[in-house]
Amino acid sequence: MLNQFAEALKKVGGQVTEVATAREAAVYIAGRINGTVLLPPQSSLERAGLAAALEAEGVTVIKDSWREHAPAAGAGVTGVNFALADTGTLVLDSTAESLRLTTTLPERHFALLDPCKILADSLDAVPYLRGFHERAPRNYLAYITGPSRTADIERVLTIGVHGPRELHVLLMPGLSADFYEL
Amino acid sequence: MSRERNRNYRQRVDEALATPRLQEALHTFGDAYVIARQNAFAGLDFEAMRTEIAEMKDHVREHRQDLVAEFTRNAEAAGAKVYLARTAEDANRYIAELAMQHGVKKVVKSKSMASEETHLNRALKAAGVEALETDLGEWIIQLAGQRPSHMVMPAIHMFRDEVAALFGKVTGQVESDDIPHLVQVAREQLRQGYFDADMGISGANMAIAETGGIALITNEGNARLATTLPKIHVALVGLEKLVPTLEDATKVMRVLPRNATGQLLTSYVTWIRGAVPCGDGDKELHIVLLDNGRSALAESPQCRDALRCIKCGACANVCPVYQTVGGHVFGHIYISAIGVILTAFYHGLENAADLVKACIGCRACVAVCPSAIDLEGIILHLREVLGDEEGIGTGKALVFKHIMRNRKLFHSMIRAASLLQKPVTRGERSIRHLPLFFSSLTEWRTLPAIAEKPLRDTWQAMPQRLDKPRYRVAFFAGCLNDFVYPEMGGDLVKVLNHLNVEVFFPKEQNCCGVPALYSGDRETAVALAEQNIEAMLADQPDFVVTTCPTCTMSLQRDFLELLQDNPVWAEKARQLADITIDVSRFIVDKLDGKAVFTDASGQEKVTYHDSCHLKRGAGVWEQPRQLLAGSGREVVEMAHSDRCCGFGGSYSFTSHPDIAKHILNDKVKDIEATGATCVAMDCPGCIMQIRGGLEKQEKSVRAKHTIELLAETLP
Ligand code: SF4
Repeated sequence: MLNQFAEALKKVGGQVTEVATAREAAVYIAGRINGTVLLPPQSSLERAGLAAALEAEGVTVIKDSWREHAPAAGAGVTGVNFALADTGTLVLDSTAESLRLTTTLPERHFALLDPCKILADSLDAVPYLRGFHERAPRNYLAYITGPSRTADIERVLTIGVHGPRELHVLLMPGLSADFYEL
Repeated sequence: MSRERNRNYRQRVDEALATPRLQEALHTFGDAYVIARQNAFAGLDFEAMRTEIAEMKDHVREHRQDLVAEFTRNAEAAGAKVYLARTAEDANRYIAELAMQHGVKKVVKSKSMASEETHLNRALKAAGVEALETDLGEWIIQLAGQRPSHMVMPAIHMFRDEVAALFGKVTGQVESDDIPHLVQVAREQLRQGYFDADMGISGANMAIAETGGIALITNEGNARLATTLPKIHVALVGLEKLVPTLEDATKVMRVLPRNATGQLLTSYVTWIRGAVPCGDGDKELHIVLLDNGRSALAESPQCRDALRCIKCGACANVCPVYQTVGGHVFGHIYISAIGVILTAFYHGLENAADLVKACIGCRACVAVCPSAIDLEGIILHLREVLGDEEGIGTGKALVFKHIMRNRKLFHSMIRAASLLQKPVTRGERSIRHLPLFFSSLTEWRTLPAIAEKPLRDTWQAMPQRLDKPRYRVAFFAGCLNDFVYPEMGGDLVKVLNHLNVEVFFPKEQNCCGVPALYSGDRETAVALAEQNIEAMLADQPDFVVTTCPTCTMSLQRDFLELLQDNPVWAEKARQLADITIDVSRFIVDKLDGKAVFTDASGQEKVTYHDSCHLKRGAGVWEQPRQLLAGSGREVVEMAHSDRCCGFGGSYSFTSHPDIAKHILNDKVKDIEATGATCVAMDCPGCIMQIRGGLEKQEKSVRAKHTIELLAETLP
């Protein structure tokens, strides 16, 4: 399933890498950005100490005033609730506005995923969608499959229109086994 | 009014035909699409998936009131306001008033065909509100002051240089026509818009009753921004987008991108339920459910399946007419086959009148529609309605009503025509030129002469000495076999006799009625159906064999439909339908004759053209190939073997000869590219068209019916 996920994601222009620790993740991210990084509050990333690890690599981490900082940020970093193997899709509970700004405005999106949270396909995801709805009355759930794209001019595929141009998935075992946690 | 309308339409056809790069672009896209789609469905059961969607959507139509109530209840419980708009004006008024109440000056929009349908931007402008389209394609056509020419790719008709010029006007500098550069310009120019706007307007691909949420299937990411940054979000959603559950929504989501662009999934699927956080507070979410003709459509038993449409645009992608003239001709707001139907219900029959006739009836759309809509069948029905409303043209009406229905008169007139044509045929079988007024008919294809003696007159002279025949079958010849290509009838007898089958020719048979039906004269079609049923069943044949797949469809499908409510005829129509079979299938499936005709002298290289009505109507395409290969010929596949040849009966004579000519030229190129010396097919109409094109262009490829090629193997 992990292989299928990685293959599908690569096909749509996503990048996949494996990391063992928050420090490795921070090194990977720090080597690929210019500018600040948006890091909204997410329990799995907090437990892993990602903010500190990024700062240790010299990265400026934004943790508030999203609307003000997001437009100029170089990258957004998030966890992932779970993923779908057949299409290479990430599922993110993006109800918090900070999550949405982080994954829409910057040119790069880094997503940390525990490989134990991969489902076979979108039909398997339905019970979890229902679960989100049961837990909270209002939600904004995002399926993200690769970077932003268009073929609106002469049907030529072009990556990065309004959303991120790059999507990096960092597979980190032990990050979180909870499908409702980011 | 209708004259004026028709003149404008003709002008658009001419302009489109004079834009070869448009045709080239749409052809290239169509080819790439077919491959991408095939890959996207690899390992999946498309037929099962579309049956599921069709059933689900029918359920939604039947229970729409309950589902609207359920959706509204759940959406409002999550903090949304739901408004049911009866008409386009109603929806526009609600949105414009909302904007004015909140002092909205600027709106950002993500792609919404429903807002194109209602002309929302115009209404907003009238209310002093500026609307900015943020989908790249929509922005391009907004700048150009045009309307979409495709439901999924609105600017598919535009080219990079045109886009660069438009963008240059916005930026005030010369922009290069490098596509990544242009995309970057759009990103930069539109970005600030999301922050400045006080309202975001989106459509929705699904509205889920179970949750009261909506889902958006998109690629660019603009919908995520437009539904996040502005304080107010308005979703304008056609009522047909309702689905009962999250499973149902997921099933639509699995199919839509695959069938639209060949993607497994779009970059983004966004599930929004209720008024989510926005800035320091909550968003104000309004969901406008749009009726605007959908309830009327739901009440039309003949047309209502169109409500199953999930707006994937595939019916355009594969349509030979669309590929030839584009969506500004073959469309109003909604384009292509589904556009014909939706235009009739959402924008009035008047606006659909020309479009209804522009369909060539090849059923390519029906084969790819993920909602299993019989688009061609519905368009035919609309043609009948229009025939009643506007009349079908006095000349045609006269021929159908007074001549065709009277078989003897009809047939004696064809005989008379055979004599009259003598001066132009000069004794040949093909007419290469016609004088003056008629000359346009032979400009791009030769036409066959009407035979001196029709098949019905020579039939008795063909001896059939069979001792104990396996079957006695009746031959339904159709007009072309009877009066134009009688020799095919002789070949049929020869081939079937060789398989120990006796063939007889019921003389009372008449035209199958398709020309009348396809022109919208149902009454004549009914009269002809009754005559033919009577004639064909009279001598209790084991089978009724055809050589023309359009006739086959008529006998198998149309007669049933035409007579279904008539207790006297319905049962007989069923009987006839059950025993009707086209000749290639008959030989392979019923007579096991695959390997009987073996001696094709000299290993001719043959390519095969799939006739629309044979492949997509009767589901036959393997059998003729098996017969040809079995006869020792080398069968090579041409590209687009099942693409229409452009015949379409009166389509290529009177309604759209200019479009038909282009479609034929595509076919001739594909045939030539195979290097075959013969193209086989199972339809006399296709033979007329393809042979005519090959002859006119002086190609040394012969066009033959499979039955003729089998007869050639016999002494
Ligand atoms: S009619 Fe069918 S093929 Fe055409 S857009 Fe609708 S769902 Fe797609």
